Amino acid sequence: MLDDQIISIKNDFIKVLDEARSTADLEQIRIKFLSRNGLLSQLFDKLKDIPKEQKPLAGKSLNLLRNELTEKFDLKQEEFKLLSDDQKSQIDLTLPGYQYRIGGKHILTQTLDEIKSIFKRLGFSVYEGPEVESDYYNFEALNFPADHPARDMQDTFFISEKFLLRTHTTPVQVRILENQKPPVRAIMPGRVYRNEAVSARSYCMFHQVDGIYVDTDVTFAELKGTLVSFAKEFYGENLRYRFRPSFFPFTEPSAEMDITCFLCNGKGCKICKNTGWLEILGCGMVDPNVFRYVDVDPEKFTGYAFGMGIERIGLLKYGITDIRMYFENDLRFLKQF
Amino acid sequence: MRISLNWLKEYVDLQGIPVSEIVHELTMSGLEVEEYTDQSELFKNIIVGEVKEVQKHPDADKLSVCKVFDGMDELQVICGAPNVEAGQKVVFASVGAVIPNGKMELKKAKIRGVESFGMICAEDELLLSEDHTGIMVLDSSFNPGMEISKALGLDDVIMEIGITPNRPDALSHIGVARDLAAIFNKELKYPNLNYKETDEDINSIASVEIQDSTNCPRYAAKVVKDVQVVESPDWLKKKIIQIGLRPINNIVDVTNFILHELGQPLHAFDLDLLAGQKIIVKSTTQEKKFTTLDSKERILPADTLMICDGEREVAIAGVMGGENSEITRSTKNILIESAYFNPSSIRKTSKKLQLSSDSSYRFERGIDFNNVLFAAERAAQLIAEVSGGKICKGNIDAYPVKLKNREVQLRYNSVSKILGYDIPLEKIHNILHLLGFKELKKEENSLTVSVPGFRPDIEREIDLIEEIARIHGYDNIPTISKINITLGEKHDDSEFADKIRDAAISLGFYEMINNPLVSEKFSQLCGEPIALSNPLSEDMANLRTSLLPGVLAVVTRNINKGAKDLALFEIGNVFQRLNNNKIESFEDFNENQNLIFVLSGKETEKTWNSAEKGFDFYSLKGLLKAFIQKITLDNVLTDLYYSDVNSKYDLNFALAYKTESIGWGGKVKKQLLELFEIDQDVFCFEFNLDKLKQITTQPKKFTEPLKYPKVIRDFAFIFDTLVNYGDVNDYISKSSSSLLKKVDLFDIFESEILGTGKKSMAFTLEFFDENRTLTEEEVEKEFNDLIRKVSKEFNATLRGSK
Repeated sequence: MLDDQIISIKNDFIKVLDEARSTADLEQIRIKFLSRNGLLSQLFDKLKDIPKEQKPLAGKSLNLLRNELTEKFDLKQEEFKLLSDDQKSQIDLTLPGYQYRIGGKHILTQTLDEIKSIFKRLGFSVYEGPEVESDYYNFEALNFPADHPARDMQDTFFISEKFLLRTHTTPVQVRILENQKPPVRAIMPGRVYRNEAVSARSYCMFHQVDGIYVDTDVTFAELKGTLVSFAKEFYGENLRYRFRPSFFPFTEPSAEMDITCFLCNGKGCKICKNTGWLEILGCGMVDPNVFRYVDVDPEKFTGYAFGMGIERIGLLKYGITDIRMYFENDLRFLKQF
Repeated sequence: MRISLNWLKEYVDLQGIPVSEIVHELTMSGLEVEEYTDQSELFKNIIVGEVKEVQKHPDADKLSVCKVFDGMDELQVICGAPNVEAGQKVVFASVGAVIPNGKMELKKAKIRGVESFGMICAEDELLLSEDHTGIMVLDSSFNPGMEISKALGLDDVIMEIGITPNRPDALSHIGVARDLAAIFNKELKYPNLNYKETDEDINSIASVEIQDSTNCPRYAAKVVKDVQVVESPDWLKKKIIQIGLRPINNIVDVTNFILHELGQPLHAFDLDLLAGQKIIVKSTTQEKKFTTLDSKERILPADTLMICDGEREVAIAGVMGGENSEITRSTKNILIESAYFNPSSIRKTSKKLQLSSDSSYRFERGIDFNNVLFAAERAAQLIAEVSGGKICKGNIDAYPVKLKNREVQLRYNSVSKILGYDIPLEKIHNILHLLGFKELKKEENSLTVSVPGFRPDIEREIDLIEEIARIHGYDNIPTISKINITLGEKHDDSEFADKIRDAAISLGFYEMINNPLVSEKFSQLCGEPIALSNPLSEDMANLRTSLLPGVLAVVTRNINKGAKDLALFEIGNVFQRLNNNKIESFEDFNENQNLIFVLSGKETEKTWNSAEKGFDFYSLKGLLKAFIQKITLDNVLTDLYYSDVNSKYDLNFALAYKTESIGWGGKVKKQLLELFEIDQDVFCFEFNLDKLKQITTQPKKFTEPLKYPKVIRDFAFIFDTLVNYGDVNDYISKSSSSLLKKVDLFDIFESEILGTGKKSMAFTLEFFDENRTLTEEEVEKEFNDLIRKVSKEFNATLRGSK
């Protein structure tokens, strides 16, 4: 009779203990079985009704049962302590977390950062210069003679006869070379202005990075080497490229660098105007006339220079359809990058 | 510039070279082919057809069912044109052809139940004209089956070449042909002169006098008499059309032909309209009115180089002829002008008059001064040929100041010094020869050449090196993968701004980039603006004096698009005029890098566990504090509160370094927000970043974490509501010993319990010493002293302490 009850309590206990999922469950089990009025105590109470000769044996059985249940309970309790909070309680993990604001850099800054980091690894310093520039730095010292059609290449916003909004970041190279003797290896990022009608593909203000390296024994071959390593790093290892003769008053020989159109893989598409090529930068060997303006001996030193537009890279790389989006600062645009 | 390949082939043998290779090589030698149309590709599968039979379509009144013979078979074709008739030779596009207009591939079709195996084309479908009134009917002599491109001579390749400003020589077919000759190692075939002259001497009927030889060093002329001004013959009209011009009459067409053949601009005068049959080249001495041949009256500024006759101006030299001496249908005798004008003089005139022509474009870049007379003679020959005119004997060639060919020396080792590789000497010699350079002196290590008149861009050795490099091919220059690095001084002007950006985005701000060009009104809000002398539009007429107007415009734009909760920043330059002078030096203005933060709308939305929270003045202060902490200036800058009627802000405050404000902001004033149509609060703060950058902070140093316990004490006082937290805070800091390290406000309230005009402020004080444990007694003494001092200073009542 008592044995049956022992077995039944034991089985019930094991079952509910097994099903316990929280500390609350565990507490209920303790109350039901192990507390002062619990089932186990109730069994012990029955001991007094048992004939005397059976008492030692029954007592022993009950003690064994108590030990076993306590042991199992303790074990389970230990186990529970090891469980994490959420498994013990009824927290809804699927509720959304609290709100935090995040910020972000403008996509043009991010693109520029990437370009800067590549050139910094190649040993280039970073220099900036003013946006309101003198005609001397923007044109004259860069070998754009007054009254020369080369000036038509860059439609200019004028402030006075002698001052203007710089049309390129190249004037910074003159400022560097005025103050520092070669070797000079620097990039010059910044904002530039062109007096051109505003459209989806062109804006009156945009950003450029110019670069220059002046030392003894700088050659066109090294220019190609540096720009190809930059392009591979920036646009991908497998790119194909070409250098095409071009004209800039401050470099001679001059070139434009094209890479295979990554949108159509060189097959020809709308973006590359069916040529299969995309122009990514202009470059060349620093013109001796430029050296003369900054008192560097062109017989002793040679150098290369290059320049690229930042907005255009984003138009190509991210498929941005309208250059004006960069400057509207629509939050939906800013948050995409 | 538009260049016809067939025309080029008259001067250089390109037999057997595929079009794609010609195009590629031109591009790779510096004459970039931006676009090209191969007309034989355009008209593929379009042939001459003969209409054998025409019947009415059984099911449609306006359609005919035709039988067209394509040279092999008779095909059934449906045609909708009213003019189709049996026996006509027509343009027939068979199944598979791509119709040039619309680029649609032709398929077999069933039109109202009748099958059609092709299409009879109208002119517009072939892009020959805009005519779609009926099908194009061809000359009956053509054989069916003949390719239409051959039949109509539409077998040309038209290239659009981008010519850089240094290459005026390539602004003609001869010039482009010369580069091709050099690229493919062929000789250039120059046109020959072959004409008869009458006995009448040109000098007896016309004269040329140059009064301004600086601006007009050479002026040549030929006279052709008894011309008939009529439509040009087909060969000439076709050439004019192929390069995108409109044929006008035989005389004008010849001058245009010569311009595009040789690059020499010409002008033809009606000799009988020239007073005294005289040409005088001189500059105007005063402002004058003049009507050009486009019938526009123009004001000529003084010092404009003009072509005059015995009495008046007849042409603006090098730019455009005058209406008063124009060739008309009744012109009988003409004088052909071929001159060399000073490039910068022509450019000045063209700029001043805002008038550019094919002629001025070439003159201002520089034409071949050696070719002036040849061009006049060739023009006379062609005009005589196409107009039946007679060429008078002899030439006029006024050439008071002889222009000399430049001489340039090339040291062979300079080539590899610049390019980084060696080019064989015979290659160098050959390239220069094919480009028209004459060898003057050959030495062991150098070569001196004479530069042809058509290359004004070649002045120095480096220019010759470029010529050699571009013809030899940039592809042949090695791309070396090892680069030299001489480590210079580490220098990065953008480092500070980058640090600022990182700090700003870590605090949840998005970066903006605004156009520094703003309207006059906006630029005047925050200072003395710099104006552009040639703005694109009124709303971009001035440079910004502050980042604020641009930022408010962004707030408006975003609110209008439904984004009302904004935390943004911008780093950008602002510009201030420093005096009323014209800007002539860097001292007349100031360009400065600024930083602005803007907050508006909600910081957090209402969520399941919290109420929504809007940005307010204290959000701005808190974020600014975190920001300056982040850039380690928190112990250097102090808050400054002041009132300024001119401020753009309510709740105005500044951050100062020592005594100088380096940033200012607050809640943007209502009037300003109304100007931008913003109806929610906006909080901004603008820093002078250049000044911020100049504040040098101590280099970062490690401090040992505190080893001794801190003692924390709290107290709360009842103050008059007018007492500022900042004053109390400053007073506590000032009046305590160095043991007090930190004071924090943790509670502030007003309540009836405190009485009207009263408020409670509660502070936490933190005491410690880096080198020892503080005793209970000394803290207690310090704390009690403070309670006494604060009570007295602010007439405050202690509410409680612990």
